[in-house]
Amino acid sequence: MELLNNLALGFSTALTFTNLFYAFAGVLIGTLIGVLPGIGPIATLAMLLPTTYALEPTSALIMLAGIYYGAQYGGSTTAILVNLPGESSSVVTCLDGYQMARRGRAGAALGIAAIGSFIAGTFATMLVAAFAPPLTELAFKFGPAEYFSLMVLGLIGAVVLASGSLVKAIGMILLGLLLGLVGTDVNSGVARFTFDIPELSDGIGFVAVAMGVFGFAEIITNLEKKDAREVFTSKVGSLLPNWSEAKQAAPAVGRGTLLGSVLGILPGGGALLAAFAAYTVEKKIAGPNADPAFGKGNIRGVAGPESANNAGAQTSFIPMLTLGIPPNAVMALMIGAMTIHNIQPGPQVMTSNPSLFWGLIASMWIGNLMLVILNLPLISLWIQLLKVPYRLLYPAILVFCCIGVYSINNNTFDVYMTVIFAVIGYLFYKLRCEPAPLLLGFILGPMMEENLRRAMLLSRGDPTVFFTRPISLTLLLMAVALVVIVALPAIKKTREVAFQEAD
Amino acid sequence: MRIKSEKEFWSGVMFIVFGVAFAGLAQNYDMGTAQRMGPAFFPTILGGLLAVLGVVIAMQGLAAETLDGKLEKFHLGPIAWVLGAVIAFGLLLRPAGLVVALVALIGISSLGSHEFKARDTVLLAIGLCLLVLAVFIYGLGLTIPVLPVFMRD
Repeated sequence: MELLNNLALGFSTALTFTNLFYAFAGVLIGTLIGVLPGIGPIATLAMLLPTTYALEPTSALIMLAGIYYGAQYGGSTTAILVNLPGESSSVVTCLDGYQMARRGRAGAALGIAAIGSFIAGTFATMLVAAFAPPLTELAFKFGPAEYFSLMVLGLIGAVVLASGSLVKAIGMILLGLLLGLVGTDVNSGVARFTFDIPELSDGIGFVAVAMGVFGFAEIITNLEKKDAREVFTSKVGSLLPNWSEAKQAAPAVGRGTLLGSVLGILPGGGALLAAFAAYTVEKKIAGPNADPAFGKGNIRGVAGPESANNAGAQTSFIPMLTLGIPPNAVMALMIGAMTIHNIQPGPQVMTSNPSLFWGLIASMWIGNLMLVILNLPLISLWIQLLKVPYRLLYPAILVFCCIGVYSINNNTFDVYMTVIFAVIGYLFYKLRCEPAPLLLGFILGPMMEENLRRAMLLSRGDPTVFFTRPISLTLLLMAVALVVIVALPAIKKTREVAFQEAD
Repeated sequence: MRIKSEKEFWSGVMFIVFGVAFAGLAQNYDMGTAQRMGPAFFPTILGGLLAVLGVVIAMQGLAAETLDGKLEKFHLGPIAWVLGAVIAFGLLLRPAGLVVALVALIGISSLGSHEFKARDTVLLAIGLCLLVLAVFIYGLGLTIPVLPVFMRD
């Protein structure tokens, strides 16, 4: 059993004292930051990335993965207790989770979110372990034309899933691709769009973009709003759901896990899509006579999406690990982190660095287990944290961001770049342009150009190469199908309704 | 002519500006051929696409009413305090060291909140400085100058 051997290697890597410690630290810190309202996994990861610079690559990736799950789970806690989603995939958790909290069942909502996430995480980790090797085999058959088409599909997928206007999301992707091209062109050595600034010859730092657009811009917009937070502290109650709740929730966890696992693998997919889809499915299955009604504190509305978003979060590692292509903005950040540690993401990681690859997969499961063990007893601590007023929180967040950005290159230039991107991010917010597709485009920009050039060079300038190679054609047809499906009136309507429910 | 959806219209304008700027600047570089693409090829295509898309979005903004299309007010206060604080941090870090830069960052950014309290900010600054020194300097061993230039050996 090769799978078992691989998993054994993974666990022997992940279970060393050092790596266990970093997985634990990642989950703990990730949850800590993720609990804070208005800070999603992307901002959390960007902020905490510097804490991993000094580590060995395997430990660094294990810790970052832990931060990601932690942030994800922390966001759900905030959604349930304060009705403020820390991140977009917890938006649906707010709907029923907060209503459960108002009825005094906050504990059950938090408990089922943790248990559902753990079950989903376990299943999805197995899936990653099983599917990664064959997909890696497939990836070795990919030439530049296939990679280019795959990235087109990924970007289209990201557009389809962005809430709000489709054309604006495409615009954000194009802008991201262009920003990614800033710096020295690898083929010709020409410095592009650098305005003779030496620091720009290596390109714009992706941490500066992520932190400016997601972190700083977020703080500024939060300071504009003067909303009062209402925390349910006194009546969290038992964390274990009662018998009738458990009976209702169990099938929802199963459905959410399956749905989330599948949707996570899709390009553009991941936690967000998974959560939305699972909520819609649960609502449909329960029908109009659900008791309590959906949106009024039905436990299935928490169990389904929470399981789905965790499953999706895990399986979205599959395209990242096997193909080196990020399916969403969070994975784009993970790729950026790998590059900082001098690991070239792609199918060769599994063969050239098996202990890192399988260690990361094993640590996913360990991380999920830690989340349950950690969060159930620590809920009261997170509640305390939610009571800290924002006026004390945001200067602290700024401090960690500034030190993080500076320490990437030990250069204050990156700090100023972050300021510029904060202004741009604020503008995006005001214009209602969603920034996640921009970050994805930013990471994919140089990769796309490189593969386009190589494909065209190999085909001697013949652009039909993208349609004559079967895998490439299939990928492009899938992209077209996605666009058509979204443009269909019936789907368009459902999509709008689905995103409206979120607002 | 009245703009029906300000958010759409100005988003379109923003995309046009970025698209034209990138495509225009790219003309300083070599275009190459389809077989051997020069550094100008890809950015010209992308910039052109972005500008065209911007025109479409701006036209939509002129023509069609959208839900919640009115542009919200820009509040300059929070941006100025928060980003001013970050710039101050950048300027002070090398000459004055981490501690001074952090105090400036925390002090200035705190003024951006409408519920600023001086005593809390002082306590916060002390606490955060100690935490940062413990975690980043002694714990993770990052090489950041801690003291002002004249106090370093």
